[in-house]
Amino acid sequence: MKKPRLFGRTALTILAAVFALLFLLPTVLTITNSFMTQSEITANYGQVFATVKQGTSYIADTINLKFIPDKVSFSQYITVLFRSPDYLLKFWNSVILVVPIVILQLIIASVAAYGFTRWRGKVSDVIFFSYVILMLMPYQVTLVPNYLVSDWLGILNTRWAIILPGAFAPFSVFLLTKFMRRIPNSLIEAAKLDGSSEFQIFKNICLPQCRSALYSIAILVFIDYWNMVEQPLILLPDASQQPLSVYLSTINSGEIGIAFAIAVIYMIPGLLLFLHGEEYLVEGIAHSGSVKG
Amino acid sequence: MAEITLTHVKKIYDKSVVAVQDFCMEIQDKEFIVLVGPSGCGKSTTLRMIAGLEEISAGEIAIGGKVVNRVPPKDRDIAMVFQDYALYPHMTVYDNIAYGLKLRKFPRRVIDQKVREAAEILDITDLLKRKPKALSGGQRQRVAIGRAIVRSPKAFLMDEPLSNLDAKLRNQMRTEIIKLRQRIQTTFVYVTHDQTEAMTLGDRIVIMKEGYVQQIGTPRQVFHDPNNLFVAGFIGTPQMNFFHGELHREGETYFLELGGTRLEIAEEKQQHLRQYDVPAQPVVAGIRPEHVLLTEGEGFSGQVDVIEMMGSNTHLHVRFGDEECVIVVPDGDEPVREFQHGETVQFMFHADRIHLFSRETEQNLEHAPAAPAAEEPAPATEEPAPAAAEAPSEP
Repeated sequence: MKKPRLFGRTALTILAAVFALLFLLPTVLTITNSFMTQSEITANYGQVFATVKQGTSYIADTINLKFIPDKVSFSQYITVLFRSPDYLLKFWNSVILVVPIVILQLIIASVAAYGFTRWRGKVSDVIFFSYVILMLMPYQVTLVPNYLVSDWLGILNTRWAIILPGAFAPFSVFLLTKFMRRIPNSLIEAAKLDGSSEFQIFKNICLPQCRSALYSIAILVFIDYWNMVEQPLILLPDASQQPLSVYLSTINSGEIGIAFAIAVIYMIPGLLLFLHGEEYLVEGIAHSGSVKG
Repeated sequence: MAEITLTHVKKIYDKSVVAVQDFCMEIQDKEFIVLVGPSGCGKSTTLRMIAGLEEISAGEIAIGGKVVNRVPPKDRDIAMVFQDYALYPHMTVYDNIAYGLKLRKFPRRVIDQKVREAAEILDITDLLKRKPKALSGGQRQRVAIGRAIVRSPKAFLMDEPLSNLDAKLRNQMRTEIIKLRQRIQTTFVYVTHDQTEAMTLGDRIVIMKEGYVQQIGTPRQVFHDPNNLFVAGFIGTPQMNFFHGELHREGETYFLELGGTRLEIAEEKQQHLRQYDVPAQPVVAGIRPEHVLLTEGEGFSGQVDVIEMMGSNTHLHVRFGDEECVIVVPDGDEPVREFQHGETVQFMFHADRIHLFSRETEQNLEHAPAAPAAEEPAPATEEPAPAAAEAPSEP
């Protein structure tokens, strides 16, 4: 009986390892290739984007996937960071779009979740249910209404067209509400008897206990909006205000090495945030009931 | 001064579920009151209404002479210890105890002094820097009490504070609470479902059932003179024995017929029955296991069904006819003799310890008959508060 089980486990491990490698491959390739010189990049990927006619590019058949650079070079990074301020400007565009969204979403979601937790009733249950329904809708469904409302508010083609819809996110409210509802009612009652006002209960008792949920939301929202493409393309057509996520796709064939370097730089904030709060992320999602029923 | 007065207090949930019905009581300053009863009897709801955590549906609650019906919990100057301790998990023990004082904007020096005093009283000084999750159940309990006493409130409310502890720790903490009460001398309202806790802690006990107060009295009163069948059965371990019998009256003399045997009734009880002109009727006779005596060849006869060796005494479950009688056989100068399963034993009852309850109303026939009321049980009799706490002889 033991041998088939051992065989099955080994097969599963190998399969998992293969999938892990497949997923890791693009990231590893991006990181290692960002340290290649421009000439090495051209030698390896010269045929990837070959110009055919009238400026239209296509992917050629012959490419040379190379993981280890012949010589480690920081020339791509030097170009990105010091010689072409455009890239840094786009990076900054990403930051000033995403950071306010994360902060506003945390504030609004925590206040809304506190309301849903403390004042239970038919009306609040209906509203909460509508939040859940909204959460199930893909972003693309609400894109047109968002466009129309932004136009009506006169904020189209400004950063607010992305920040405002981003600040009111049903998923964060749902996650935090589920989390806050796990806080024993006796804690809130004890705080009341200790002399806390409603705001003090929220600030001193509820929020500190939702730290892991808040961290999870911050990470998820940051990664989600750091990688956004559709929203800026539709709601923020002004290229000078667009984030790096959109700008990455406009890098032309002659700058593949720079694209690798920017991609690595672009990964760093999300990766750092994830690594720093990985523990909270797991705890937050598990405790909110999103993973465990 | 922290008398608590409850006047015709009522709590109805969802316009139909009555949790507390017509609760009337005056709790004296520095008195220790225990609300006891089975689950769902309304004891915790009553406590929460005093705390202000539940709105009252009707009636009036006054603390220190001031009606507090619409006063929020934080302004009632009371402290509460919860069943699950309700310690703030993200704060240290020190911060947990100091939190209420910080909100009341006490100077930092005063807060520190008060926290350390409370910690010393409760012997938790070494734990002040720990978080609640690093504490045992008993230590958490002490911190919860510390948080309550540090504010020197008008009254302490305790909602089953010992029910999450194991039996040994519960006994230890019970003693601690008695010592604490002697030390801080303030009004306590304590909720429990454990009648032993109620008997050992309370100056007076309020026994509740299905939202109604069944009896208010000292531990001695509720033990020796229960108002009705429920109180008689609820108070005392092992539970009181109940037998179906007939109360007969011949002129001015009452006697009890039990299983074909005629039993005399003590003169004091005869007087009470005569006073209320109790007619002959079917009754439930109650006798505590401690008041059943084993005899040699006289009285009732039955077979030993179950033998429980308790250490200082032995509980015999004796079957006679269709009834079962529990007898507590105490160790005297010598250990109690060994009993055998199926052994025949003879026993009789203390005539002055038999309680007579109406089979129809379940009320104690020696008490004043209840005023007729549709669908509502008789209002509980409230005994005056004693000058000092009385302990029952053997609860």
